[in-house]
Amino acid sequence: MSVMAIDACRAVNDVRGDSIVVATMGALNALDSLGGDYPLMVGCVPLMGGSGALGLGLALARPERKVIVLDGDSSLLMELGVLSTIADAAPANYIHVVFANGVQFGGSSNTPIPGRGEADFVAIAKGAGFRHVRRAETMEEFEALLTEAMSAPGPFFCELAVKAPAARLSALQPQPEIAGGRFPRLGDEGRRIREVLSTNG
Amino acid sequence: MQAATELPALRADLQHSVGGRAIAAELRRCGADSATTVPDFVQLSLDACLREPDSGIALTTCANENQAVCAAAGLYFGGRHPVAIMQNQGLYNCLNSLRTIGLDGRVPLLLLVGQFGREFANLGQDPRQSERRMVRLLEPVLDAMEIPSFRLEGPADFGNIARAWDTAWQESRATVLIVGHYTLWD
Repeated sequence: MSVMAIDACRAVNDVRGDSIVVATMGALNALDSLGGDYPLMVGCVPLMGGSGALGLGLALARPERKVIVLDGDSSLLMELGVLSTIADAAPANYIHVVFANGVQFGGSSNTPIPGRGEADFVAIAKGAGFRHVRRAETMEEFEALLTEAMSAPGPFFCELAVKAPAARLSALQPQPEIAGGRFPRLGDEGRRIREVLSTNG
Repeated sequence: MQAATELPALRADLQHSVGGRAIAAELRRCGADSATTVPDFVQLSLDACLREPDSGIALTTCANENQAVCAAAGLYFGGRHPVAIMQNQGLYNCLNSLRTIGLDGRVPLLLLVGQFGREFANLGQDPRQSERRMVRLLEPVLDAMEIPSFRLEGPADFGNIARAWDTAWQESRATVLIVGHYTLWD
């Protein structure tokens, strides 16, 4: 059983309220495809592995708001130690969701990641000291977890089983140029969050 | 009547040191209110000072330097004024995070980077002439990364703390203060 990233992101949008959202990898692509312009969202690109710590800093700076980190499994594998860093700081407003599809460049090449999708992130997060850990394999389970995480003190960790879209790259459709706007994106969106929070508290 | 305790003469190499407590006070004066760190052997007295409950600078200890840079960015986006503290080999470890956060992302971030492993014979000399690659590569690497840097080689360089802070905030970029020798336990 697994869900599509876009459905999971739609569910996050439905419950986020005035939370700060940090997204990377497939979750960011899915949020972008949903459209809208949420001023409290920052795309952690191009920086695989950085979203957890980025969200931690935001959560520590803004303890009155939930911070929802939408991570990828290949991204989290790059920085597993961040789970101990987060658990040590233990911000009660922190929610970490890892979209686990077992591949890198999901929807592009679907290249297998180390462990081939068998890493048990729930066990890893629990071992790192997370207070609440859960796994979701259906939309119903994920929506229930989101509701709980939004109301309970954290930090909260969720591994979500996600189905990767079909790979589209081939000899007939090779990789496109990476748009230049991808490089300043993290800073631009982060500064917007800072400005919005300084205005609205 | 008990004889006054005679303090041992300060080790000659410590003339190249600046007090950790003095550095913390200067960082606070500049406006720093938070710090992320992977503890640095060179800056242990600064680390100890920042761990005091009333330090005025909230310290977050990270498992590696990429996390320290990213968490500092999050603190900044959340409205804080962070610094990141690490040692030279940690700086080498987080170059891509620095590129994203402190260059392309234009996050104003002062990093205090200790020259771990520096031979005492190089103190007072040009660190680019150190016999140790760990030490002599630091400034050329920062130059290659287009990251401005300032040296803290002793009390005479104390003003470089504020200069480095101002560079980071006025130019909205990562800037490094290179701590050349052990901070004093003041």
